[in-house]
Amino acid sequence: MDFALNEDQQALVDAVQSIRRPFDALPMAHKRDRSWFAADLQRVLAEGGYLDAARAIGPLEAALIVIEIAQSPCVVETGASALVVPHLPVNEVEGPVALISGDLSRAQRFLPVARAALIDTGDDVLLIAVDPAQVEPVDTIFAYPYGRFRTPPSLDSAQRLGAAALAPLRQWWRVSLAAEIAGAAQAAVAFTVDYVKQRHVFGKPVGVFQAVQHRLAQCHQIARGIRFLALRAAFSGSPLDADLAAAYAQEHVHKLVFDLHQFNGGMGVTNEHELHFWTYRLRALQAEVGGAEKAALAIADQLWGPVTA
Amino acid sequence: MEFAWTPEQERYRARVQQALDDLLPDDWFTRYAPQGNVSDDQIEHSRVFCPGLAERGLLVPHWPKELGGEDGEPWEQFILAEEMNMAGDPRGPQYMNVNWLGPTLMKYGTEEQKAAHLGPIARGEVTWCQGYSESGAGTDLAALQTHAERRGDVYVINGSKIWTSYARKADWCFLLARTGPERKAISPFLMPMSTPGIEVVSFPGLVCDGHLNEVFLSDVELPASARVGEEGKGWEIVIYALSQERVGIPRYRSGRKILDITVAQLTREGRFDDPIIRARAGRIVAKLEAARLLTYVVVDQRAKGVPPTPDGNICRIAASEAVLELMNFLMDYVPDCLLGGDGILAEFYRANIPTSIASGTYELQLNLIAQGALGLPRS
Repeated sequence: MDFALNEDQQALVDAVQSIRRPFDALPMAHKRDRSWFAADLQRVLAEGGYLDAARAIGPLEAALIVIEIAQSPCVVETGASALVVPHLPVNEVEGPVALISGDLSRAQRFLPVARAALIDTGDDVLLIAVDPAQVEPVDTIFAYPYGRFRTPPSLDSAQRLGAAALAPLRQWWRVSLAAEIAGAAQAAVAFTVDYVKQRHVFGKPVGVFQAVQHRLAQCHQIARGIRFLALRAAFSGSPLDADLAAAYAQEHVHKLVFDLHQFNGGMGVTNEHELHFWTYRLRALQAEVGGAEKAALAIADQLWGPVTA
Repeated sequence: MEFAWTPEQERYRARVQQALDDLLPDDWFTRYAPQGNVSDDQIEHSRVFCPGLAERGLLVPHWPKELGGEDGEPWEQFILAEEMNMAGDPRGPQYMNVNWLGPTLMKYGTEEQKAAHLGPIARGEVTWCQGYSESGAGTDLAALQTHAERRGDVYVINGSKIWTSYARKADWCFLLARTGPERKAISPFLMPMSTPGIEVVSFPGLVCDGHLNEVFLSDVELPASARVGEEGKGWEIVIYALSQERVGIPRYRSGRKILDITVAQLTREGRFDDPIIRARAGRIVAKLEAARLLTYVVVDQRAKGVPPTPDGNICRIAASEAVLELMNFLMDYVPDCLLGGDGILAEFYRANIPTSIASGTYELQLNLIAQGALGLPRS
């Protein structure tokens, strides 16, 4: 057991942070957006090979990249490309990649900017190319680009990855969403801590009040817990660890979003206050792959066997 | 970063498990464990168990070799603690001796005190209790009122201690008493429990029998040589002793076992197919695992010689949250454990009622995280 980054991992994280830093300050034109997809950052990460880290270095390093990038207020697709695709029987897939489960007529995360989509049909995994012209953006407060197909895409030409790809797709989707929640939660807590130090009420900083301190301390603990569960799931490649990470991460979105918005007060409901760039990514991830409930049931199945009746 | 045990650590865990297999009686889990490790039976059993553990080099493995240890790594000490916790900690009160009392004496004790006490502790021959809390001084320990008055070569001690686990059976007490009027003018004393003037009164409560004792001290005379450290400078010693228990008891370990026992009961009763119950159980495992990893962060820091950080407080609140969820699960689905049902479940529930109070309340931990990790001002 070693919970500190080794030299190579630290260098990787430092490199990702320096790439990310220019995008942490939102351009004026996007200050009031509900989400901002940073196409330039997406390109830099792809061209720099960062999204291939799982194959080139290892899944743990890929998860570190996802966590780091998720701390930015801008949005980049890292989870599917860096953690899911490398564990499926496909060669290179041009990203961004949308992950889709079930009904193709619904709005999907990342679809307006995606070049490819992986579809969980229930009995197969399909890989399709996405034509942006066939996608209409969906207006939402979730802080990701969402869109739906103008007409359901033809699946005749889809690459069929087979039923055996279902388990790794769901497993690594859970790892990726836990890693994204870890990064976004960490950033949202840091943003809020900074705010409560500056914002005064009744002549004192909001952060002086114990009622505020206690709940922020709980949020900090939760964010730390999600981080290590996500990283362990990436390290071990264990389906159980993936379910544990997703269950813990998705269950705690409730508390994180409520508490962090409480302490940002009225400012937190405005778009120009950046909190929503993280909290409404958390909300968007809360229900994916069945949410905490399905992840918890998967844990029970693995530890104590499936339902007998 | 690495989330796997080394082969040496795996072998160490197997060695501890083998020792438990060898040393615990066949009726451990049916007779002893349900009584809790503060029960008279378990304390008496610890007097047999601990010397056996010591013979195998597993009582004080983290101590220096010249004092009976093996110069063991912090990770080994923690693996040992996990396995002991899983078995209901058959070391009884002696977990305190080996974890913090011995190391505190090594650092602050006189040569005479070290010679008198470290050997018996390392051999598992002695039981201690901790005379810290008073009815008006728990989390705010510096508010304690028990008073030690210097009269020539002796101290005369008057006052009372409460919540003193193991006091009925302990041979010695690590006692804190006020030696001056200043708030932190406190000194520790090494007090034989057979000293005239000590009266121990047990009283019933929600926790397991044996936990709740009041220790009355009436003109108890101790030689000045019983004092640890300079007079009135004991606060540093107290902080050091508390820091030796940075991560607390690894309750996530016994928590998993308790959950398994509960699921087995629910399965026998045909109730574990209910998806509501299954999902609750799955979520509790996730919380226990978060507590486990956050605890390992602290053990890792300790192994690397990093001074205490707020991660020690973070792992405690994670463990408290997980244990509380498990206690709620027990009361939702197997409340019969408190009505003559499974004794192990009942013992776990009762023993953990004060989990978020003892050793620094949950709220105190949150204060320390807010100030230490988040940089928020003291309120």
